[in-house]
Amino acid sequence: MRKFVLIGLVLSYAGVLLLAPMLALVINLLEYGLDTIWAAITTPEALLALRLSLILALCSVMINTVMGVLIAWVLVRHQFWGKRFFNAVVDLPFVVSPVIVGYVLIVLFGRQGWLSGFPVQLAFSTAGMLLVTVFVSLPFVIREVMPVLAAITPEQEEAAFTLGASHTLTFRRILLPILWPSILYGIVLTLARSLGEFGAAAVAGGGVQGVTETATIYVYRALQDRNDVGAYSIAVILGLMAVGILILMNWLRPQEGKKHVD
Amino acid sequence: MSINLTNIHKGYGAQVVVDDVSLEIESGELFVLLGPSGSGKSTILRLIAGLTPLDQGGIALHGRDVSLLPPQQRGVGFVFQNYSLFQHMTAEQNIAFGLEVKRVPRSERQARVTELLQLIEMETMGKRYPHQLSGGQQQRVAVARALAQRPEVLLLDEPFGALDVKIRAQLRQNLRAIQTQLGVTTILVTHDQEEAFELADRIGVIDGGKLLEVGTPDQLYRAPKHRFTATFLGNANLFPAHRNGSKVYLGDQHLPAPPDTDHLTGQPVEMMLRPESIEIALNPTDLKGSVLGQATVTQLAFAGALERVTVQLEDRVLQVLIHPAQSRQLGIRPGDRIWLGVQEYHLLATNHHSGAG
Repeated sequence: MRKFVLIGLVLSYAGVLLLAPMLALVINLLEYGLDTIWAAITTPEALLALRLSLILALCSVMINTVMGVLIAWVLVRHQFWGKRFFNAVVDLPFVVSPVIVGYVLIVLFGRQGWLSGFPVQLAFSTAGMLLVTVFVSLPFVIREVMPVLAAITPEQEEAAFTLGASHTLTFRRILLPILWPSILYGIVLTLARSLGEFGAAAVAGGGVQGVTETATIYVYRALQDRNDVGAYSIAVILGLMAVGILILMNWLRPQEGKKHVD
Repeated sequence: MSINLTNIHKGYGAQVVVDDVSLEIESGELFVLLGPSGSGKSTILRLIAGLTPLDQGGIALHGRDVSLLPPQQRGVGFVFQNYSLFQHMTAEQNIAFGLEVKRVPRSERQARVTELLQLIEMETMGKRYPHQLSGGQQQRVAVARALAQRPEVLLLDEPFGALDVKIRAQLRQNLRAIQTQLGVTTILVTHDQEEAFELADRIGVIDGGKLLEVGTPDQLYRAPKHRFTATFLGNANLFPAHRNGSKVYLGDQHLPAPPDTDHLTGQPVEMMLRPESIEIALNPTDLKGSVLGQATVTQLAFAGALERVTVQLEDRVLQVLIHPAQSRQLGIRPGDRIWLGVQEYHLLATNHHSGAG
């Protein structure tokens, strides 16, 4: 009996906390009607915001996938002075508030900033927004790939070497297929984090409508402007994307060890 | 000469793993490197394959100096202890991998894979993934993969280590048959003397990074030069002795000196008596070989096909192996007084520490 009470309690708590907002979003959305929603989504500002969010997220995914695998490789395969410190620093984006990340970018690269002479304008620009998005979503690929890479015994690579394969070919044909599920999982997490980013992007980009306004910033501004239908519409799009990512994550989640024949 | 190692040396800091090893292996030979765990035998294999860089010395394969070449250019097939099959590839794909790397045309590749699957008697299992194969099957695929490119040399690092006894015996026969059929020069590393005896044309005994001695299984078993070899290859009763004139003195006993042991005259030697070469009788006249003396039975133990009898001869304890039928016939019990004789014995220079005797 106690067991069922506990299960009921946990499910109710999680259900209300996690699913109720999504449900509320959909119910509110239907009140407006699909035509109104479609019109709200297809306004130039909304489309630009969605476009910018997608561009930032995709660029962030590309950069963090390549760099994430490289960083994971260096951390797992190489010994160097300060490795433990570097390994800890990789998790910094998990603990630093995104707003602070955006603020630091302005402090560094703003007009009065220490690095104001930097050739590329980073403060209040999409380049700066990309930089902070890359920062906040940096650890996902790294942390997914590292344990898998560490578990690969050197013999697999050595076997490939004795069969004539170069280091590059060995990485592509032997290691990458093993790492691929964890890389994909990292990519999906990076995508989710990047699409949902608000604080860092809002501060670093300044939230200029049609220029540095992402979908999340658009929702915030629409609410401030009492444009409820606009806020809801984009929120639903972002919500649907999140659900899609969630399904993808569950599908890609690394499987338990396969059964072996003795 | 197929494989030529010249004074090869490998160390990690102060720890010497391979100590000045020189070895020549003939074409088509199956050479077994035998030694305990940590003796450096696997490192020698890795040095030959180029998987571990050499500190000093030279390695030549079929007359080609490969000492500084990467593993990709050595033309060596390597079978790892845990097989290291590529888990995301089928057995066929594993075997074909090296051929793909060498850009062998698809039709030729497929023909070679089929040929190898037949060779390892797994024609119907080519589409299976490693996790769908048993340990023995995985081992056979690993051998086929290593042979696919027709390597000059095949290196096997404890290839039967992870298998149970019955499968191991079967796979040993398979491997020997394949090796004989293909004539590929092979080095196999093992710590199992039974495996070494069954497979080897010649055995190299290694301990503490040093290659102690090399010989045929029979030579090393019956006439080892080194105490370590005598004790590592089966059981040996070893006793201090000295050779003088045509006799060997073992305490108060003296026996005719074995042939070709003149060089041991005047230096400390040990007499090696294999347990199965010692005979037991109730009367000295029943002994066929030289009489060792009268001893007391202290223990009888079942040892499979034979029976192990522990006896006390003066202050020396000896292990003797006799047939259970003989044991029943003699009716011996612990405490009984019996006579010991020996038909075959061997002398080796006293070398308790390092260096070949």
